Formats: sequence, structure tokens, C-alpha cells
Amino acid sequence: MQRVPRWSIHLALVVICFFMLIPFYWVLKTSVAGENIFAYPPSLVPKDPHPFYFIDVWYDIPFARFFLNSVVVVTIVIVLNLVFNAMAGYALTRDFAGKKAILFVLLSCMMIPFQATIIPAYLITAKMGLLNTYLGLALPEVSHIICILVFKANFEAVPKSLVEAARIDGVPEWKIVYKIMLPLSKPAIATNIVFSFVWTWNHFLWPLIIISDQDMQTLPLGLSYFLSYFEDTTGALYAFCVMVLAPTVFVFLMVQRQFIQGLTSGSTKG
Amino acid sequence: MDLLRALLFNRATLSLAALAVAVGLWNVYVAAHDDGLLAGRVVGPDGRPVAGAKVTLLQQILVGYERIESTTTDGRGAFRFTRHNQHKPVLLAEKDGVGASARTPVRLYFRNQNRVLAQPLRLDRN
Repeated sequence: MQRVPRWSIHLALVVICFFMLIPFYWVLKTSVAGENIFAYPPSLVPKDPHPFYFIDVWYDIPFARFFLNSVVVVTIVIVLNLVFNAMAGYALTRDFAGKKAILFVLLSCMMIPFQATIIPAYLITAKMGLLNTYLGLALPEVSHIICILVFKANFEAVPKSLVEAARIDGVPEWKIVYKIMLPLSKPAIATNIVFSFVWTWNHFLWPLIIISDQDMQTLPLGLSYFLSYFEDTTGALYAFCVMVLAPTVFVFLMVQRQFIQGLTSGSTKG
Repeated sequence: MDLLRALLFNRATLSLAALAVAVGLWNVYVAAHDDGLLAGRVVGPDGRPVAGAKVTLLQQILVGYERIESTTTDGRGAFRFTRHNQHKPVLLAEKDGVGASARTPVRLYFRNQNRVLAQPLRLDRN
């Protein structure tokens, strides 16, 4: 069978990347030029680029406060996700009665949209006195079923002999997870970080429902506040989007290799 | 030791450190240039300095402009505001019998940035 030359694959990938990056480029271009998106003919190169829309966003709305709120919530979510998902993932690698039923329930729950559970989630959060708090914002995000399954797949790839040797040496189960499983599951950790970061960073509906204090608003809520504040929004709106998007892109670039490994681990045998 | 080295010298830590340094340097620059000095000149339609013109510092709000403060030009047509506390102030100069300037937005890189306007405000609208 004749192999496809590598350069042709790279060329195709470059072309695909070019088209996929056009929306990002467009957002970036508009954020520094403020050109109307409906302008015809559209200009590919920004005319008189300047950073003033970013400065307007920084000063005209409490961006730093919204940013801090998002960072605090995301940090809580990432830490709790790693703890809970790793524990749940490890438990699911063990054999116990009802394991298949639990897996079935978990997989079934993935089909229920968050919007369907938002009223009970709100009532529970209110009963716990967590409305308008960081913990209340983080609560529905502290564990994700997909992330549990990613951990499970990674833990199952760890040789059983390692775990058995640790047990023979009398190592407790929590230490097996912490000292053996997690150091060998960096891709799963990276995947957990990226997923929980992106989902929480972009969450709009939940903060909208439980936050009434403006000082506790996160960035997606800040966007709606921003739209009601600015009259001429095109450039500033895109600048705001770039400022919201930048941390997500940064986190992804930092852990992209492990993230892709984490998603593909367990997808092939051998 | 290896763990410490791994924690310190990785992409994420180094990138965040570089970002922190850049932010720190920027804040040092801002601290050294945020006295809120806004100065410039007012000239008449003939390009000659106008003494005694009233210069108003405005702030753009959702429904128009809000006056912050006013000053008067000296004999050389120069004016000066201190602690303007704005990041996009708007200036308006006017003098009875001569005319008024257009509302001139001044874009600054940070609030209270010191700026001496390169172009004078021209009184050419009656």
C-alpha cells in the first residue's frame, strides 16, 4: 500500500487550521479596530489598530472583580473535581456488587441536561445557605461524570501488579490513589483541569440564578452587564470576549498534550 | 529537589512568571506616570493662542456628557488639569466672541495618565 507523503498531510492540516482560526482572528481584529462586523467589503487587516477597547472594558465595568470571582470559583471547582473524580474513578476500577448498576446510572445521568435539574439544585443550594457564595457557584460543578470515566480509563491502564504490590506492603487505599495512581495519570488530571475549567469559566445560567449581588458576578454574567452598559459595543464587546477567552486558551495551551493523551487513553487496546 | 525543579521549571510556571513580571513592570510604569496631569493649548481660528478661554473636562456617559471640572487658559493659551481621574476624558474649549472647539476625546492607556496634548484645541465653531 502506498503511503501518503507527510508534506501533503501537513499542508492539508495547515489549510484546515487556517479556516478554523478565522473566527478567532476576526474576534481579535475587531477587538483592536472596532470595525462593524457587517461592514462591506470586509477588511482582512485591521485599520488603525489600538488597545483602547480593552482599556474601556477594564475601567468601565468592574472587570477585575468579575475576573477574580471567576478565578476563585474555577479554582474551587478544579481542586474538588480532582479529589472527587479521582476517588470515584478509582472506586469504579474495583470489583464490587452493583458496579454495573452504578455505571449504568452514571451513564444515564449524562443524558439529563443541567437545565432539567436546576430547580432542585437551586433549592438544595438555598437550603444550605450558599446563595451568593463562591461555594454555591461551584457546587453543581464539583464532579463531572465524563471526568470520572476519564480517571477510570486511566486507572485501568495502570498495571494491576503495582497496586497489588502496594496492598501487600500494607499501603492504604487513599495512599494508593495519591501516591501511585495519580502520578501515573497526568493525562487524566490535565483532562479534568481543562474540562472543569472551561465548563465553569463559561457557565452562565447557574450564576445567573443564584447570584444577586453584583460583587459576586462571574465573567459570563459580566458580559450581560456589559451589554447593558455600553452604547457602542462592537469593539469593546470583542475586546471583552478576548479578555474572557484568553485564560481558557492559556490553560489549554499549557496542558494540551496531556489533555489529548487523556482523551485517547483507553481508546485503543495493546 | 527534583519535584521542586519540575514544579518551578515547566511551561505553565514559567509562562505565569513571565506574565507576572510583565504586569509588575507595567504597574511600576503606571505608578510613575499617573499624576493625572492633562495639559494642552487653545488656539483661535487663526492659529494664535487664546487667553482666557474656558476649557471643560467632560466624561462621556450613556446619555451624553457629564462635566467634571473647568479651567481657564493663561496668556499663552495653555491649560492644565491635575488629578483628572479619567481614562478617556473629553475636552471642550470655548470663549465668548471667538467660538468653541469640537468635543475632543483624549484616549489614555490608564486612568490618571499624564498627557500633554500634541495638537491644540482650535476654537473655530460659533
